[in-house]
Amino acid sequence: MAKKKKPMLKIFLVFFMIEIILVFLSGNFTRQLQIGFENKRFVLRNIEFHYDLQEKITEEFQIDEYHRQKSIAPNVYGSEKIYDLFKRIFGAPTALGTFQLLRMILIVDIVLLFMALYIRKHLLARPSKSQLIFELIYTSLEEFVTETLGKEKANYTPYIVTLFIFIWACNMIGMIPIPGFMEPTRNLNVPLGLGFMVVIIVHFTAIKAKGAWKHIQNYINPVKNPLFLLDIVGEMSKVVSISFRLFGNILGGAIIILVVSSLVSFVVFPVGLNLFFGIFVGTIQAFVFTMLALTYIGVEISE
Amino acid sequence: MDLTLAQGIVKASALLGAGLCMGMGALGPGVGEGFVAGKACEGIARSPENASLITRTMLVGQAVSESTGIYSLVIALLLIFST
Repeated sequence: MAKKKKPMLKIFLVFFMIEIILVFLSGNFTRQLQIGFENKRFVLRNIEFHYDLQEKITEEFQIDEYHRQKSIAPNVYGSEKIYDLFKRIFGAPTALGTFQLLRMILIVDIVLLFMALYIRKHLLARPSKSQLIFELIYTSLEEFVTETLGKEKANYTPYIVTLFIFIWACNMIGMIPIPGFMEPTRNLNVPLGLGFMVVIIVHFTAIKAKGAWKHIQNYINPVKNPLFLLDIVGEMSKVVSISFRLFGNILGGAIIILVVSSLVSFVVFPVGLNLFFGIFVGTIQAFVFTMLALTYIGVEISE
Repeated sequence: MDLTLAQGIVKASALLGAGLCMGMGALGPGVGEGFVAGKACEGIARSPENASLITRTMLVGQAVSESTGIYSLVIALLLIFST
């Protein structure tokens, strides 16, 4: 392994060293090495570029606001043609953030769907590697479900596993370095929708377990439950706490990555930051969301 | 950008509020997470065979107790970017 030559790595390292040297030679951090094609000619030069952190954050996180201020398309769609197509179909571009969100959710869904179809088609008695990974996820989460809800309620496992895999894929897709790729969970609408779904399923479970009238009495009858107003507020705060936790972690991580990597002029830091804020925090938050949903369901069943 | 005096005062107080909000909001989660990590260390020292279970529970508990800090982060971001 050590003797194997890696030419791509060497080329990358050489460019990296050149960029570092140029950055330090230029004296300030407003210059950047530009490599690529321009007018069908290969260019390699040291350009000075205007960099404004506030502007960058606005472009990245408030696309509609950026468009209103600058009246040019933000650089998140890859090419102008896709943006023009959006504009022709939907009219005035006041919902660019929504388009981006919908596109990212569609990408996540399509990836998960194709993965599921592929694994279903290649199911084996002696499992392959990809099948093993999914079986590991399924069995470990099934263990949690049977521990919390009991053996006879194991039919909640598919919902829990889907929730975990969806949130995990959403958090991971922001790692891919393509312009405009973002975590769908960075937008508040996605965690809020997932949180509402969790609370609806919790109440559905409670009605199924205890009966509708007995469950509703908890929230309207002051004789049976003197603190019924607090319980109603508690149901609201369940949604808020479970969704804002996911949203705040992902958004805060994204903003910290952007700010710190602009401070070091995108040289070396983002890799380590992506490891922590992307992979570690993303996995932990997906797990926490799933566990909290499971705990909410378990409380209603055990009463 | 050109700001009038009133807009400048609003912006300045929003930025000040964001800093205060983040600083005070990070106190509680910091103390709580450190406490949880210390207790987990004690537990692992007492029974090293349960280390993986204790670590997993500790991470989940820390992520839950971190949420108040996350709320203050959201409020600070709202103060910075929406005024």
